[in-house]
Order: sequence, then structure tokens, then C-alpha cells
Amino acid sequence: MAKFLEYIPGNSLLHRLNPSVKLVCAVLFAIACFVCSNLAFLLLMLALALALAIGCGFARETAGLCKAVFAFSLILAVVILLTTPYGAVLITLPWGYIGSGSLLAALTVIVRLMAAAIPLFLVFYATKMTDITNSAVKQLHVPYKYAFTFTSTVHFIPVFMNDMSVIMEAQTARGVEFDTSNIIKKIRLMVPLCVPLLVSSVRKTNSAAIAAEVRGFNLRTRESGYKDYPISSLDVAALIVCILILVAAIVIASIG
Amino acid sequence: MIEFLQVSASYDGEMAVLHDVSFTISDGEFVAFVGTNGAGKSTTMRLMNGLLKPTSGEVLIDGVATTKLKTSELARKMGFLFQNPDRQICCNTVREELLFGFQALGEADAQAHMRVDEIIARFGFNPDDEPYLLNRGTRQLLALASIIVLEPPVIILDEPTTGLDYRECEKVMEVVRELNENGTTVVMVCHDMEVVGDFANRVIAMTQGRKVADGKTFEVLRDDEVLKAAHILPPQITEISMILERDIAQLPEPIAKAHTLEQMVEAVVSAPGKRR
Repeated sequence: MAKFLEYIPGNSLLHRLNPSVKLVCAVLFAIACFVCSNLAFLLLMLALALALAIGCGFARETAGLCKAVFAFSLILAVVILLTTPYGAVLITLPWGYIGSGSLLAALTVIVRLMAAAIPLFLVFYATKMTDITNSAVKQLHVPYKYAFTFTSTVHFIPVFMNDMSVIMEAQTARGVEFDTSNIIKKIRLMVPLCVPLLVSSVRKTNSAAIAAEVRGFNLRTRESGYKDYPISSLDVAALIVCILILVAAIVIASIG
Repeated sequence: MIEFLQVSASYDGEMAVLHDVSFTISDGEFVAFVGTNGAGKSTTMRLMNGLLKPTSGEVLIDGVATTKLKTSELARKMGFLFQNPDRQICCNTVREELLFGFQALGEADAQAHMRVDEIIARFGFNPDDEPYLLNRGTRQLLALASIIVLEPPVIILDEPTTGLDYRECEKVMEVVRELNENGTTVVMVCHDMEVVGDFANRVIAMTQGRKVADGKTFEVLRDDEVLKAAHILPPQITEISMILERDIAQLPEPIAKAHTLEQMVEAVVSAPGKRR
């Protein structure tokens, strides 16, 4: 299984698409998920995203991703449930109530976040980071500085995750019990880890910046890339499908 | 006592990185694990302190399987020094750093404070220094001190001399030698064969997740087959005695078997033959 957001070589439909088109399609797909709040539509989008992931051979990676997004969205869902009294009363609370509308809103948040996140993450599993940067600079006319900043940020996520796990191991070896079931205690134990993580990330970022500088980072322009990223009929078809999905989302949202 | 009984291990549950490894380390030994990167040395260390559990076989610490113990419980018995001290250091002052282990174990009492003071005096630290502002060698020493302050009967060192200059390396290793002389079991992963030759009494050579040799340092490091299998070069003095043994017929045994500079000089001086 690949590490978080790490490119997995292959020849699936997603692998064959132009990097910029993939990125634009994923963004359109995500916008469609946020434009429309219809649960049935969002479930359909989630099913579509899952089908795409499974069809392209990213089932395991997507399962892991879904678990992480689900955990995050569950927190949001609980906050919505407890703070947004709406619809028929289901459970009475000292400060309000949980209604059928609250439940629907909470469910919508979970499905929306999962549906929107999957295609965005699939882009990284199916595209080399350098291709995303170069293609964004060449075809989307994104200034190299910003494209590099974005891809570096994404690139550093698994690096920092790995650092965090090594730091946790180092502290576990010193007797820190991270496997405690007490969440407050766990958070208290995690706080000291921020110091080594911060130190390591600042050092890494600084080294990366110096390395980029000495290799002529500021001299790079749109023309510097030698690789071309042609747009094929498959790319056009993918774009049309995503635009249609966005239009459908807007129509459903405006109907109510 | 550390016992590995036909241990195999894997990080992802699929690809084994350690195959059927068995050995026993008795109390008070100084054992070095040598071999190329990816040979399974660090994995073996992680199995010892329970950071990784075996997929088959058993790792016993004083007769108890690591699968039955929490890593935090093992921390009392097995001090683990990581290669990079910055992964370990997490407090704002040297004193806090040294106390951290006691706090994690819930033992930060008056005795712990006394022990911290002892260590500060022994290492010559300034208790109020900020650890991240210290130089690399001192940070490594601090990381080592924060392990030994807990007085674990075993210390595991994962490449403790990486990134250190000769003086810093000597300083760290002298502390380790002193600990070993006072009864602490030392298990070390090291790529520097000079350090291995100077400090370890026993060497376990590994390659591709398998043990290929286990014996006295002097014997393992002059075994041609082991050196080839584990892709390691012997310490210079061992190499000289091996070359002499290979090239000179009837080489006096003391020269052939010398494994320290002192022994080599003594053997050469006392060898029969012409002298100036």
C-alpha cells in the first residue's frame, strides 16, 4: 500500500488523463459537492467517486482516506447535531434539541466531505508531483512559485506524518503511553511532540529552500519545462462530464 | 536477558524484513549489530523494545514475551537512543528533558530530581540551556543522558555516532563503555567498524533480514565470508593483520591475531628477527 498521497504507477483512466485536466476536474467535482446540499445527489457523487477509485485500482488507498475523512467529518457532524436544532424533535437537549433536519444536515456534511475529498486525493495517487507542477505552470499559467509552493506543501505532508510517527516512537520508547483511552490525557501527551516536529519541519523547509535557491529556483519560467502535456479526446470528455455534473448540481440547488 | 526465538517480522504484514532470527544476549554484554542498510538491524532493535511485534517467533525480555508487555513498560528496562536526537528531545531546558522520562513513567519524585542533578554534574550540562540551541554532539549526549538517567539495565543504541565528529563520537562512546563496565547491557547498531572494533565484545552480522554471523568481535570481523556477505570492511588494524597473515608465510601468531593497535605494536616489537 502506498504512503499517504504518494504516486502509484499505473495505466488506469486517471493515470492517462492530462495532469491539469485531472486537477480541474477534481476541483469542479468538489465545487459541485459544495454547491448542492441534496443528500441523494451527494450520495450519487460519493458512489461515482468510489467507483472511479475502485475502477482505477485505488480501493485500498481510498478506504484509508475515507476512514480519515469520516473521522474528521464526524466531529463536524456532531457539532452540527448539537448546535443546529432544526426539523422534527428527535432528542431534547438542555440547550435545545436534535431534530430530523439536524440529522440530515450532519449526514450531508459527512457525505459531502467524503465525496469532495476522494477525487482530489486520487489526483495525487495517479499523478507524479512534478507533472502536476509542470502542467499547472504550462497549461494553467500558474506562476511557478505558487505551483511549487503548493506541490511542496503536499509533498511534505507524508514526510511530516513519517516524522510524527518516528517522534511518537521515540517518546513511546521513553515510557509515554500514547495508547491511553483517555482523550484528554492523549492530547496532553501529544503537545510535547509539537516541539520536535516543529524543529524538524523548520529545518527541512529551510534546507529545501536553500537547495531550491542554489539550483536556480528564481530563474525558472513557463518555458523552462521540457515536457509537453497534450490534451487528448479523453481529457475533453472528462472535462465535459465534470462540467455537466457541476451544471446538474447548480440546477438541483436552485430548484431547492 | 534478551532472547530472540526464530523471529520473523514485517512492517506491513506482507513483506517480511526479518527472517527466522535467533540469538540470546546475556546481561552485561556489549553487542554490535552490523550489516548494510536494509539488513534488518534497526528492525531487530525495534523488536527488542516492543516498538514492533514479531509476526512469528518470540522476543523474550527476562523471560517475558514483548507481546505481553506495553512498550511504555519496556521503557523501564530498555533505554533506546535514536539515531537523530532531535526526534527525541522535546523539552525547553536540559533539566526538563532529563526529567521527562521520569514524568512519563510517573516517577518524578525527589529521588528523580537528585538523579537528574547527578547526571547534569557528570555530563557538565547547564540545566537551563535550551536543548535545540546545543551543538549536534551535545544534543546526542543529552539524548543519551536522558535515557541513562532512568538507569535501564539495557540500552539500545541505533547508530549513535552518525553525524558526530571524532571528538564527539569518543565522548558518547566513552559514556557507553563506562555504563557497560558498570553492568549495563549495551546493544548497538553501527556502521563504523572502528567503533565496533574498539567497543563491542560481540558482533552479530546481518544481511537481507537474516543473521549471517554471531561471535566475538575479533573473530567475526576477520572472517572473509562474513565480511563479503554483510558488505562490511573490517577495522584498519584487523585489515592489516589479515593482509600480513595472507602475504607473509609463518607470520608470528601475535601479529596475526592482533586486533588493537597496542597489541599490534607489542607483537611487532617482540617478534623474532632483525632489529635496528
